[in-house]
Formats: sequence, structure tokens, C-alpha cells
Amino acid sequence: MGFETVVAPRSRRSRKRPTALPSAPRPRPALARAGLVLAGAGLGAVTALAITAETGRELRAAGGAATFLGSLTGLVGMYLALLMVLLVSRIPAIERVLGQDGLLRWHRRLAPWPISLLVAHALFITVGYAQAARAGLGHQVAVLLTRYPDVLIATVGLGIMCFIGILSIHAIRRRLRRETWWLVHLYMYLALALSFAHVLALGPSFVGHPLTQIVWSVAWAATAGLVLCYRFGLPVARSLRHRLVVTEVRPEGPGVVSVICSGRHLDKLAIAGGQFFFWRFLNRSMWWQAHPYTMSALPQPPYVRLTVKAVGDHSAAVARLRPGTRIAVEGPYGAFTKYAQQRPQALLVAAGIGVTALRSLLEDMPRNAAPVVLLRATRPEDLVLHNEVAELVRYRRGRLHELVGTREQAMLDERTLPRLVPDLDRRDIYVCGPEGFVTSIVEVATRLGVPAEAVHHEAYAL
Amino acid sequence: MKRAGWYVVAGAAAGFAGVLGVHGLGTAPAAALGQLKPGGPGASAAPSAPSSAPANGSAVQPGSSGPARKATGTVEQYGYGELSVAVTVHGNQITGVSVPLLRTAEPYSQQLAQQVIPMLRAEVLAVHSARIDGVSGATYTSAAYAQSIQSALDKLHVG
Repeated sequence: MGFETVVAPRSRRSRKRPTALPSAPRPRPALARAGLVLAGAGLGAVTALAITAETGRELRAAGGAATFLGSLTGLVGMYLALLMVLLVSRIPAIERVLGQDGLLRWHRRLAPWPISLLVAHALFITVGYAQAARAGLGHQVAVLLTRYPDVLIATVGLGIMCFIGILSIHAIRRRLRRETWWLVHLYMYLALALSFAHVLALGPSFVGHPLTQIVWSVAWAATAGLVLCYRFGLPVARSLRHRLVVTEVRPEGPGVVSVICSGRHLDKLAIAGGQFFFWRFLNRSMWWQAHPYTMSALPQPPYVRLTVKAVGDHSAAVARLRPGTRIAVEGPYGAFTKYAQQRPQALLVAAGIGVTALRSLLEDMPRNAAPVVLLRATRPEDLVLHNEVAELVRYRRGRLHELVGTREQAMLDERTLPRLVPDLDRRDIYVCGPEGFVTSIVEVATRLGVPAEAVHHEAYAL
Repeated sequence: MKRAGWYVVAGAAAGFAGVLGVHGLGTAPAAALGQLKPGGPGASAAPSAPSSAPANGSAVQPGSSGPARKATGTVEQYGYGELSVAVTVHGNQITGVSVPLLRTAEPYSQQLAQQVIPMLRAEVLAVHSARIDGVSGATYTSAAYAQSIQSALDKLHVG
């Protein structure tokens, strides 16, 4: 509660907010749909390219079928790799619709395909060429690696891809530190760059086809440009513009701290409640890693606030931040905003530290929203920020339920949820918290017949 | 996102149809390759005579005697495909060389062979035998070329 007194008196805030802050750009689903159509068009085009590059006679010649499958899997695999990069390139128009975790979900879902297709490509090509040349497989591998241009480095690239692919398998990834995994993952860009040249030099759809070569190169160059612009250029520019520094770190509850930061031009920072930034605290031990933390309140220029629970090395170190530490930010990201709402009213559910996103989302909702808010925690002292939430709910004529106890004591299932929220069929559900909690609430909502597009979630994967 | 799959499928159908419309099935690439290398073959595995088109063999040289005789050499397998060479001789002079068959596993080898074969042809026409130095970087192709020519010359009892 001290937050209000330090940062700004409440009365001034509620008077100033509507005019002072620019609202975040509204998500436009039509743009994301256009992106889907475009992605599909590319897939159709590369498939057709592989097919048109082959004549019937070639297909019937020795090794023809394997060679054809090799070029088809190679082309489609590389194209899917391109989509994978685009999915994490943070293009704002798409990010606003699907959200960061939506994009990552697609990225993860798609991931096995390009890698296995490219491995299949290498195998098919080796077999096909060996059959055509009536050579042994081992000999053919040696010939491919030593005598064909750019094949050796492409093979190195494929090796890197497979290595990263294996590390990304859930069971293995869990054992890695987040930062280690992230750094290793960056080598995927190198792997793709290494694979690029052999496509143009050897691909049946590219050799002697300047137009296809140009289109393909432009597509990759544009993707690289988008990545550089939105993952690097824009965050740097934004950080330099706002120059955030840590002003104060204060405890909110057991293991939970709020970091109050101050910066310039924050009245120009368009952010919607419920969004988050990647925060990079520029001190000696933390500068090299950026972590996603939600803003637990809308900015009150010149201040912003994030609230963090110590669950890992980084979040524990946040509690020891010194005032004056400079901060670089990347964002704001996330589709967990009021714009996602499909039905007239909303039910907001949060467990544990998930309350941070809920609180700023709630703050962003209009005065007549009448939201129902469920806060869940194992112990009463874990209900951080609940006074602020109560205040915001009261102001919007909503209802607040605090559920404290173990999962069995404070159960949220198909029987209890409709009892707490009788008008569930006219409400969207926003749920935020640990992954297991989010999954279980989404399942309950599905079983209660809430359509998927009216369920919005943000999980904190550790 | 709702019905995401359908948007992708619709886009894919459009993209597929679009490229097919521009290219046509299995025809355009062959034509494009042909344009790039004048005298080149159609598709990469098609029987072809890459080096024959610009100056088709029979550069009859002064001083050559007797009727022109022609023979096609054996089909030689080499690392990247197979080829056979036909020679035309006047007496003991080789006056024409062509490649009636060139089949390669993939376009890159095809392109390479098309660059190399005219050089090999020039070598043969210069030394009037199959004992050529070959082209560096195309050892297998050169060897197969020389071997096929030798077999053709053997048929003609020349050399």
C-alpha cells in the first residue's frame, strides 16, 4: 500500500490517468489472419517449386525418387525454419494478437518438423545421389562433403540444429538453466546461416532460376531484418529513450518484492494492463540476462513498478537490487489485455504471484466493468497486493473472492466455479499463475463450455 | 486463434496454384536451364548433347582425308552420373566430338558437366586422341569422357 503514497496520491492518479497515458495499440486479428494466409501461401509455393523442378523422366531415373523427396523435404524444412524464426521475431502486429506465450507455443509445436524434415533431406539426398552414381553410401557421403560446394558447412549447420533440437526436448531442457539454454539456442541463427548457401548453389529449384533465388534470398534477408529490428533495435532505442533506473525495492510478502523504477517520457510509453517486459538489470552480475516480469501497475510517470517473487537465481537477485541500477527493457509484450475480451464482462483468476498481471489488467478496465476476481493462495500472507486489488475491484463495482488454503481446501472445479460466478456464461476468463494452476483452470473452463477464444491465460514457466 | 488451420490451408492452396501457374509441371525449370547454358539439355537426367549445339562437331579440318566416319563410345559411369561421347573422324584426324548422353544425379553436376565438356572437347580436337590432360576440379568427368572417346576410337580403329 506504501506504493501509492510514495508514487502518487490515489486521487490524483484516478483523475489524471485517462488523459496522461497513451493506450496501447489495439490488437488487429485480421493482421494475424493475413499472416497465417501468407505463411500457408509460402508453404504451398515451396511445395510446388519442388514439384515443378522435377520432370517425370528424372523421377524414374535411378535415385530419382529419393532425390526428389530430398529436395522436397529440404525446401519445406528450410521454409518451416524460416517460419520458426518469424514466430520469435516479436513482430508487434502479430505479437499483440497471439501474445508472447501464444507465439512460443506455436514455435514449440512447429519445432520438431523443420529439424526432422532437414534430417530426412540429408538422408534422401545421400541415398538418391548414391543410387544415381551407382556408388556406395559411404563414398557418396565423402563426395558430398568434399566436392559439392557449401555442403560441408550446411552439414555443420544441421548438426548444430539437431544438437539444439535435442536440448530442447522437454525432459532435457528442464535440467538446464534458463540462461544456458537461451544462449545455446542463439546458435540456431548460426546454423541457419550456414545452411543458406548450399540451397542456392545446389537446389534444383534454384540453380539456373535467378527469380527463385532472388525471392528466397529476399525472404531470408527480410526475416533477418525483422529479427534485428524488433529483438534488438527497438528494445535498445526504447531503453535509451526511457532510461529506467531502480528507485526502490520493497517487500510485499514472503519472498515477494516490488521494484519501483523511474524513467523519462513514461507518459509516451503505450502499455496495456497485463502486459510484461523483459528486464535487464545492468549491474555486474545480471546484465547478461533478461527476464520477463509483469508490471504490477500501470505506469505513473515518472514511475513504473514490477512485482517479483523469488523463485530462481535471477528473481532472488532482484530483491537485492540497489537503487540507481540502470535497466534495459524489451517490450511491452503479451495479449493478456482488456482488448482480448470477447464477452460483455470478465472473470479474473490469479494464483500466487500471478496477481501482478491481474492487478494491472484490472486497473486498465473501465469503471463500469463489474469484474469478478478470484485470488488464490496457500497461506494468507501469500495474497500479495490484495488490498490494492480490493480497492480496484470496489472502484469498478466488482466482486472479490479470496481463496486461501491447500488445493483441496480451496478447490476451483466444475462445481465450485459456477457457484462463485453464476453468470460465467457472459464472462471471459483471464487466468494467470503457475503453469499447473493455469492448465487446470483452462480445463475447468472448457468443461463448463466456455469457448476457447473467451479464455485468456498467461503462465509463468520457471 | 479460431480456424487458424483453414487460413493456412487456403493460403497453401493459393501459393501452390500460383507457382504451378507460373511454372507449369516440370517444364519451366528445364527451359530455364537451357537458356542459361546455350546448347544445354533439357532437364538434368535427360539424354542430351550439351557441347554439340554451338559447333556441332564437324569442323572439317584442312588436310584431312577420307570419308567421315562416326562412332559412339561406351556409356561411362562416373561419380556424379553417366555420359557417353561420340566422335567423327576423317582418316586419323578427329574432326568432331559430341556428347549424345549425359545423365547426372542433380542440377549442380549437370551444370558442372556443361561447363567442363566444351573444354574437354577442345582438348580432344587439339591433340586428336583420347590422351587429354582433363580439367582440374572435374577429374571424374574428364576420366569418363576420355574413356568413352577411347572406346569410340577403338571401334573406328583409330589412334
